[in-house]
Parts: sequence; C-alpha cells; structure tokens
Amino acid sequence: MAARVDLADRISEIASRRGTLYDYVNSILEQAVRAESMGLTLEEVLDDRWVIKDARDAGFAVVPEKVFYELTEDAYEKLGKRKMTSLWYEAGQWYGRYYEDLGRFEGAVRRYFWDLSELKISKGDKHLALTCLSSKFSEAYTELFSKFLEGSLNALGYNLDQGEVSKGIISLRFVKSKGV
Amino acid sequence: MSEDVPDEKKLIRAPGNLVSKLSEAANRQGKTFYSYVSEILEQAVRAYEMNHGLKEIIDAYEILEVYKEAGTVFAPRDFVEYLIGKAYGEDKETLQKLWHQAGKWCGVYLKEKSNDAIDAFVRLLEEGRWDMSEVTMKRNQEALEFKCVSTLVSQERTELMRRFIEGAMHSLGYESKEHECFRGIIRLRFLPLVVP
Repeated sequence: MAARVDLADRISEIASRRGTLYDYVNSILEQAVRAESMGLTLEEVLDDRWVIKDARDAGFAVVPEKVFYELTEDAYEKLGKRKMTSLWYEAGQWYGRYYEDLGRFEGAVRRYFWDLSELKISKGDKHLALTCLSSKFSEAYTELFSKFLEGSLNALGYNLDQGEVSKGIISLRFVKSKGV
Repeated sequence: MSEDVPDEKKLIRAPGNLVSKLSEAANRQGKTFYSYVSEILEQAVRAYEMNHGLKEIIDAYEILEVYKEAGTVFAPRDFVEYLIGKAYGEDKETLQKLWHQAGKWCGVYLKEKSNDAIDAFVRLLEEGRWDMSEVTMKRNQEALEFKCVSTLVSQERTELMRRFIEGAMHSLGYESKEHECFRGIIRLRFLPLVVP
C-alpha cells in the first residue's frame, strides 16, 4: 500500500522500537478497521479518549442517570426550588470560571452532558442565544439545568436578558456584560 | 497535519484482507485510499506521541460508549455528594436499592453487549473509577474478589458503590459472600450462584 513518505518513515521508525514494521502496520490497520466498524474515525476516537479523565479532573462524578434524576427531583421537592436553583446556579458559576472561555465551556457541555439531544449557542456582537434540548429532562431538572447554564454564562461575562424554560427545552438569550 | 505535505510516496507491506476492508471504507467515505491511509497513519503517530497504543485507546473509548449506553451521566461531584448526603440520612434503604438496581441494569447490559461481561465490568470500574483511585479484581479459584479504594468519597457513597457493584455481579450470575465497607474502601467477595 502506498503511504506518504514522511508518515511511512515515522511509522517505520516507531516500529523499529517495537518489532517488525509489518506487525506494527498490521496492528494499526486492525484498529482502524475496528474503529470503522464502530462508525468512527481514529481521529474521533483519539479526540474523545480523555473524556472520562478530563471530566474527573473538572470535578464531575459518574453517576447512574436514574439515581441522579431521582435524587434531584426528590431534593427539589424537599429543599425547595429556591435552594436548588441557587445550588445549580453556583455550580454553573464555578464551571464558567473553571473553563474561562465560552468555546471550552461549550465543548465541555457537549462532551459531558450526553443526555442532551441538542445544544446550540449562537454568538453575536453583544448578544448570545442558547438553545438546549433533552427528552430525558423532567420539568424540575430542566429548570435546574437552565440555572446551571445561566450561572456559567454569567461567569463568562453574559447576563440573562430573556429566557423560556419548559420540560426538556431551554431557550435563553444573554447580553454581554459591560466591561467584558 | 501540516499544510506542506510531501508528494512523495513509499510502499508499505500490509495484510491484503485489511487493505481490502479499508479500501471499501475509504470508498464509502468518498476518500481516496491513499488519503484514508494517510489519516490512519497520522493518528497512529499521534497515539504513539501520547504514549498510548491505538488498541488501548479504542478499548478505553468502548468503555465510554458503555457509560453512555448503560445509563450513566456526569454530574458535578459536590452536587452528587450533597444530594446523597441529604437523601441518605432520610431514606438509606431506597437509595441503596436504586444503586443496586442501577448496577443490575449495567450488568444485564454488559452481558448482552460483551463476550466477557466480568472483564468489561472491571474495565468499566477501572476506567471510570467512580472517583476510585484503585480498582482491582482477583480471581481466586471460583471466587471473585474486588478491592476499590478512594480518598475522595464519603461513607455514604462508598456504601452505594458497593451496592452498585453487587447489583452488577448479581445480574452476572454471582452471589455476595463477604463484604467490608469503610469510607473509601470496599472489599467484596463473590461466588458463582449455584442454581439448585
């Protein structure tokens, strides 16, 4: 098979530290076929390889979905809306400060909150619009998650201008804070 | 890679069956075989530079997929601890039952999806760690012995993790024989369930 000369040389150099070139190429192609059978490219696999570690480093814990939703619902009922929304808002503020940058925050939300079916952020000069959909969210959870997003964006320099939140649907519009 | 890619090519010997499969894949994606192979080799070099093998990376990626499919989510750790702390004091039994059920579901899922469900479950714990710094499983004749250690988790979450592991192992055909659960340390011993 024909390969780009720089890559062929580099692969050959790596192979020389491991065994034969043929065996090394064989193992690479086997994994490429495996990734392809999963409907992915190797690039996508490598990009997402560190998701679990990165999430842990960012202070996220893995938790059974059903347990987490039930705990949240239960706490919403018992502790009250004000306490819970304030907790989520604060958590959001922490993550906004942690990621510091809107693009990084958006990337993290996409990677870690895989229970979202859609997240769209459009940024203008002074405004920012955010739409977030999930068929799994309850009404209470949607509200809490919207507070999380609001807290994050607030920490990233955006103030909530208007918003619509209903079960599984979050649509928020922000204005850029002055001085940011 | 860089924009200044050399035009020169070199021939590499590779197994015919794999070349055929990748050639079909390149066709499906509307790419030339040459550019498709370049992408693959670029990623192999990238993996090497990360000090990891491609196989190891794809193994880990599969675990991530299991997490997604088996119904887990990421949630802010402090928040999880807070909610558990609140709920545990009020209704410990229900919470333990929920984690046991979640473990059972995970075990059933792995049994369906994996050739070696026990191995897959251990990898799931090792990779995701659930905030555990150490996860080991030893086979001692027929028995399976788990040890999980964490300096991060509370007593409550340690108990719940135990219930999760038990739930998974019960649905994988094992019964609990011994357990020890101290804040951040779980030791469990299972034996295959004997059906009369």
